[in-house]
Amino acid sequence: MERRWGMTIDLDRCTGCQACVVACHAENNLPVSGPVEAAKGRAVHWIRVDRYYEGTFPDVKVKYMPVMCQHCDDAPCEPVCPVYATYHNAEGLNVQVYNRCVGTFYCANNCPYTVRYFNWFEPEWPEPLQLQHNPDVAVRPGGVMEKCTFCIQRIKRTKQDAAQEGRPVVDGDVQPACVQSCPAEAMTFGDLNDPNSKVSRLAESGRATRLLEELGTKPKVIYLQRGK
Amino acid sequence: MATTPELLPYGRIREDLFRPLSGVSRNYVLATVVAFVIGAAGLVAWGHQLRSGMGVTGLRRPVFWGFYLVNFVFWIGISHAGTLISAILRLTDAAWRKPVTRAAEAITVFALMIGAMFPIIHLGRGWLFYWLFPYPNGRLLWPNFRSPLLWDVTAITTYLTGSVIYLYLPLIPDLAQLAEHRTLWRRTLYRTLSLGWTGSDREWHALERAMKLMAGMILAVAVSVHTVVAWDFAMTVAPMWHSTIFGPYFVTGAIFSGIAALIVVLAALRKILHLEFYLTRHHFNNLAKLLLLMSLLWFYFTMAENLTVWYGNDPGEMAVFAARTRARYAPYFWTMVLLNFVVPLVLLGIRRLRTIRTATIASACVLVGMWLERYLIIVPTLANPRLASASSTYTPSWVELAITAATFAAMVMLYMVFSKLFPIIAVWEFKPHPLEEE
Amino acid sequence: MFVTGEFREKEPVVHTIRQLRDAGIDSSALDLFSAEPVELARGVLDRPSRMSLVAVSAAVGTGLLATAFIRYTQHDYKLVTGGMPLFSFWATGVITYELTMLGAIVATFGWFLRESGLIRRREKDAPVPHVDPGVICLRVRCPAGQAPETIDTMRRHGALKIERSGQ
Repeated sequence: MERRWGMTIDLDRCTGCQACVVACHAENNLPVSGPVEAAKGRAVHWIRVDRYYEGTFPDVKVKYMPVMCQHCDDAPCEPVCPVYATYHNAEGLNVQVYNRCVGTFYCANNCPYTVRYFNWFEPEWPEPLQLQHNPDVAVRPGGVMEKCTFCIQRIKRTKQDAAQEGRPVVDGDVQPACVQSCPAEAMTFGDLNDPNSKVSRLAESGRATRLLEELGTKPKVIYLQRGK
Repeated sequence: MATTPELLPYGRIREDLFRPLSGVSRNYVLATVVAFVIGAAGLVAWGHQLRSGMGVTGLRRPVFWGFYLVNFVFWIGISHAGTLISAILRLTDAAWRKPVTRAAEAITVFALMIGAMFPIIHLGRGWLFYWLFPYPNGRLLWPNFRSPLLWDVTAITTYLTGSVIYLYLPLIPDLAQLAEHRTLWRRTLYRTLSLGWTGSDREWHALERAMKLMAGMILAVAVSVHTVVAWDFAMTVAPMWHSTIFGPYFVTGAIFSGIAALIVVLAALRKILHLEFYLTRHHFNNLAKLLLLMSLLWFYFTMAENLTVWYGNDPGEMAVFAARTRARYAPYFWTMVLLNFVVPLVLLGIRRLRTIRTATIASACVLVGMWLERYLIIVPTLANPRLASASSTYTPSWVELAITAATFAAMVMLYMVFSKLFPIIAVWEFKPHPLEEE
Repeated sequence: MFVTGEFREKEPVVHTIRQLRDAGIDSSALDLFSAEPVELARGVLDRPSRMSLVAVSAAVGTGLLATAFIRYTQHDYKLVTGGMPLFSFWATGVITYELTMLGAIVATFGWFLRESGLIRRREKDAPVPHVDPGVICLRVRCPAGQAPETIDTMRRHGALKIERSGQ
């Protein structure tokens, strides 16, 4: 059976430290917007940590929620792209084809999670950050939409390595940058079609919720939280 | 008392309607220069955007569509002027439409041409716009016909083709009459375009049959075009966009703004080209009544949409609703209601107040109001997404303002050139007085 | 041989045409020229038209072609988008509709050009009378032997500037 990649994020463990955000930046060659553009709301964060406050000082409770592309099985962003720059691949990932994107912005408008980010200018990195690029990941040109890919380059690399070494891909072999870097081990990643994978077992848990589930997008990121 | 145009001697009619085609006045040159400068500014802005990237606009996540889409919907809406007047009044054989049809059809064609530029201007990589067309290529590329943007492409192509043909067909007999013009290049132009029209009954019959068919077809296409534009928004899951009312709402709004544009243009033509005999109070009165009717219809749709959203109390939609009616966008919203509903109701509903001048004022108000309406449909929804952490605001930059201004300048210029080359009122539709002396 | 005559009123034209047709001259040999359309009663000088049929056939044909085109090309691209089927008639129904109308519009225009005679090569020696507004000019193509009778009929109904040309 084909794999269906999915992720769980344990909100009861998440401390909001944003290590995942930094790791994603480093792994995926995210453009540096600079203070001026960031002030204009154009910073690119494939994974962002949303904060929800309950109560008033001094009895404030904060919920930290890392939000990235949910790789919805019924993704609303996919049918609206006029040039097939975003579609669902066989392993359940919502892939973004940078070369094909002409920049109609339709996918971003139709994403209810607002997880798509645009390259407003040609990307630049202040010296010497351009030396830190990940060679496995494309550098996107200006005018193109981008978003979390579930570190598809790591998925590919793991599958290639396993094939070369003649062994199967085991649960836990593939770790996107965010999952790998979380100090609280709040995130897991794996094959939802494998009933024995950690992700599948956690997805069955009583604490499993999905974001904006009522829209019928069938997101594949499961948030574990004790109460909503 | 002024006689009705049909009773004027035919020679006089021809003279009046062909006179604007010769000579350029100082005002004409001045207007052309101003329009050219504004248009050039827009082109510079667009060039800057193409070179530097979309970041030069005021767009930002999550407001990925701003002024360009507002203008797109606005201009496609204006293009419904010709369709209503020309097609519906032709189909119902209303006599008062005669001096109005060509001006209306010209508005349609030019508004469409301008509106169709915006899907290219708003693209992040605009030079690749042709990827939306299905053309054979060696790279296994194909467009996605499930996308409403492709429906847009098809609809606008069809409508533009149809409108150009619909403008051209009744122009042929007039072109034949102009074929004896003084200037050589114009003689050649008119003769070529008139396709050797001789005025035989075969030609007239074919023309009238074609016009009848075209009127019905262009009406069907026009309704679908703005419905498809509406579906760019309605087919999404965005709050207050995903509404079944959008199709008819946009078509109504389009016809509404189209009539307003027509009234403004006709008032200008009347003044500038001295067509007081041909565009009379009677015409403006009828158009004003139509405008009032569309205003009431527009209000009905707006009311229906907002009431159902408010009553339904869906949290995602209420965030947008509150932004539109009470918070940041409230001044625009209530101005829009004032300009689109209150002003026309007062100025056009009270018979004593309904004059050519007030009709023009009301129409200008409606044009502003309808532009605001497009803005209020697009921006508040995008600025208030379902996940509130991404909420933001939008302010256009000079690039968007320059391009917007340039489109108005382009419309004026296209119209001025058109009225210099072709008679703005169809001469052959005026039957000559049976006992004319010449 | 062509005979042309100018009339100022519609009624005499109708009578002339009726008499000429009684004398055996066919509708296809008769042409009226005017600066604005002249409405004649049914049966006087009918020009049967197939424009509606052409428009409808072209519409149906283009619509079917467009739908087939989309269906077959979409299936060549087995890219899943949003759980939607590869080809859904309703999702692409708009395109089918628009192209149907485009087919009808273009066919109407094309047929107009054909039916009006604007694109067919005209007979070189057929005279094209210059018509002033308000004037209706009748042109008859008849064999030389019938010309005097034709001229006579026209004159009897008040035609002016009767001319012959060709042989």
